[in-house]
Formats: sequence, structure tokens, C-alpha cells
Amino acid sequence: MPEVKLIPEKWVDRYGDYLFNYTITRINDPVLAQDLVSETFLAGLKSAHRFQGNSTERTWLVSILKRKIIDQYRKQNSKKGKAEVRVSYLETSDQEGDWLEERVGDMRNPTVEDEIEQKELGEALSACIDSLPERYATIFVQKSIDNLETETICKEHNITASNLWVILHRARVQLMDCLKDKWFNEN
Amino acid sequence: MAFRFFINCDDAHVLSTRDQYKDLNPKELFRLNLHKSHCNGCRKFHKTNDIFTRKMNGLKWIKLTLEQKQKIKARLKEQMKAK
Repeated sequence: MPEVKLIPEKWVDRYGDYLFNYTITRINDPVLAQDLVSETFLAGLKSAHRFQGNSTERTWLVSILKRKIIDQYRKQNSKKGKAEVRVSYLETSDQEGDWLEERVGDMRNPTVEDEIEQKELGEALSACIDSLPERYATIFVQKSIDNLETETICKEHNITASNLWVILHRARVQLMDCLKDKWFNEN
Repeated sequence: MAFRFFINCDDAHVLSTRDQYKDLNPKELFRLNLHKSHCNGCRKFHKTNDIFTRKMNGLKWIKLTLEQKQKIKARLKEQMKAK
């Protein structure tokens, strides 16, 4: 495997959206998610000297982000009284109702099922993108998620359009293969 | 160069991928459809490709706004200068 060099100047453009999306599916707070992404980049910069080049830049940043997310969960859970706030469902003592029945979504509602499916698929796809080679993953995200122009991507990576389509094709085949057991067994 | 009607499966697969991004011109689309008409494997691949695109397009990708990106970039730049 060729040695990977870190290019912090390009981190935000290359991995910002991906890391933000990764965070928001785990922490449902856009402001906090932005902070965590920002802190991940800063932590990456700080510990850049420890990067050995054995993994890709993105995988390395994701591993830093994962630790940040776990720290965030710990922080939230260590705040005393949080649990009590969560269970105080009824605003006044006059109100009556079943907490569980009212809180749980209606599973027969197709929009709820769709949302759950979308969330699961999004997470599965993110995991599969993680397993792609660095270049494939970056190009796939730029073309399919960021919807960048072919020409722009070719210029950035210094490749021809034909190369780009072959890379994109291979990336998609690997992703479909990665997702097929759960998501492509339908007709 | 003479117009090549028939293509092999490798070319058909790449054309199928390009078709997912609406990148084919009429000639290429014709070649792809002609190939699919007699190749069961590529027909199947194209169908799976379509499903993948449909599922992916249905996902809500949450992105950073330009302003958020600028903020993060500024913080990163500051840190790099301080280093």
C-alpha cells in the first residue's frame, strides 16, 4: 500500500460533508455535530505527526471522530439529573396518559418505516463507503452525494473523464456488493 | 471512425453507470440498450444499478453549509499558523 500523506488544507472540502452526515446520524444536534467535526479536524492536525500512513486519511479522521462522539455520549450521560428530566413526560399532574403509547411512533405509518429504513440504509452505506479505497470513496462522494461536475472532479484528481467513470463504476459495484445482502434482495 | 454498434459487457457496465448520472449521448444510449437486449447479465446489472441509484437518491444527505465550512476552515487555518 502506498504511503498516504495528510493534506489538512483539503480536509473540509473532501471530508467535511461526510463527517457531518456521519455525526448527525449519531448525534441529533446540528450545532454540536458541526463542533465535533471541527474538533476532529483540529485533533487530526495536532496528532498529525502520529499518523503512520497505514490507513487512509478519511479512515483516520473517522476514527478520531468516533472517539469524539463517544466522549460526547459520556459527557451527556454524566450530567446529573438528565434521566429525571427525560422521564418527566407529563407537564402537569392533571394530565393523564400512557407515556409509552404516546411516545412510540405509529409503526403502521409508512413514513415512520421509511424514515427508519432510510436511516439504516444511510448508516450501512456510510460503513460501506468507509471500506472503499480512498480515491474511490472520495470520487464517489463528490459525484453522487455532492453532485459535483465531472470536469471539476477530473481536474481535482488529475484524471480523464474515462478514468473517472471507470473508478465510479468500480466503486458502485463494490458498494452494491457490500449492501446486497440486506438491501438488494428485492425484485 | 465507424460507428460501433456492438459493445462488450465491460463497456456496457460502464455505460450503465454513466446512465445513472444521465451522462450518455443518444448513440451511447442506443449501444447500451442494444447490448442489454441480448445480454441477460447486463440487463440484470442495469436493473440493480437502477435500484441502487433510486435508493441512494431517496436518502437525505445532510451537508455542511458554505458558511459552516468557512468557519471550520478558518479555525483549521488558525491552528495551522499557530503550529
